[in-house]
Amino acid sequence: MSLLTDESIAAELNRLYAEEVEGAIRYQHLCAAVRGLDRLLVEKVLRDGVTETLEHAQVIAQKLRSLGHVPRLEITLTCPAEPLSAREALRQALTFEEAALDAYQDLLRKVDGDIPLEEFIRSQIAVEAEHVAQLKELLSE
Amino acid sequence: MDVWKEFDQNIITHSAAHHLMAIDDLVQRLGYARVSDVARLLEITRGSVSISLKPMKEAGLILQDENKHLQLSPVGQALVDSIKTKRLLMKRLFTEILSVSPEQAEVDACKLEHLLSDESAQRLVSFMRFVDAEPASLRALLDAWQRQDPTCDHEPGACSTCDTGCFVQAVARLSGRQEDPA
Repeated sequence: MSLLTDESIAAELNRLYAEEVEGAIRYQHLCAAVRGLDRLLVEKVLRDGVTETLEHAQVIAQKLRSLGHVPRLEITLTCPAEPLSAREALRQALTFEEAALDAYQDLLRKVDGDIPLEEFIRSQIAVEAEHVAQLKELLSE
Repeated sequence: MDVWKEFDQNIITHSAAHHLMAIDDLVQRLGYARVSDVARLLEITRGSVSISLKPMKEAGLILQDENKHLQLSPVGQALVDSIKTKRLLMKRLFTEILSVSPEQAEVDACKLEHLLSDESAQRLVSFMRFVDAEPASLRALLDAWQRQDPTCDHEPGACSTCDTGCFVQAVARLSGRQEDPA
């Protein structure tokens, strides 16, 4: 059975919601900060990142609503005005995508026995893992 | 020398200082620190913590093992010890000597802790050692300060302290506080 109360599940989902919304903003900033010819290489990947992470955020918000909660968003974010190469932008994206994947995996361990929530998180992990694998592939020499 | 540029030359940012101190705090309390623990303690996302920790790892301030447990390197630990000591010294200075409220002293010390130079901190240690060794001298000094007329006529020309304008008005301009700090 799940180790979490209804309120703690909501708190965990709100954290994931924040991870995803923040991820979308970070993708947007990375896309804007990549300079020179490198833009041609990664612009589409980063723009897709904006769309996909926002979709993930919407899915989590929907899950929160279906559990009877109103999503709560708390993020603090500063993105420096530094030009980025395509590789550095992808590295940064990989860093926060891996962090989001870890967050889903941690939550999966806590909701053991709550089948609908387990299944929901498993499906999110599958998508996140695919993102991480895609970024790693792009970064491989 | 462009003194204002010194701010940007600081070894770590305010945010980085708090990430390092969070790791130190967690390791002391729990025996380990993970990105998720740091994120929870600082009330920010894991993504944010991971992005912030990256340059600190590259700078050799933080080590991460195969279980993704974080710890401070000897250099990182020395930095945290220095920052924490500076915070403690400034809190004591603000509360015990300047009579700033503990809450405001905490906020101000937090803002300054990673910016104070080692030279100034060493002089502060020396001063606090004097304060602890000579409580009667301190009491006499503080009493003399309290006995001084606390009013301010906001006339810099007649004031031995203010040479470029009324300091009381200048420091209170944004907060609206006008009373003499004495």
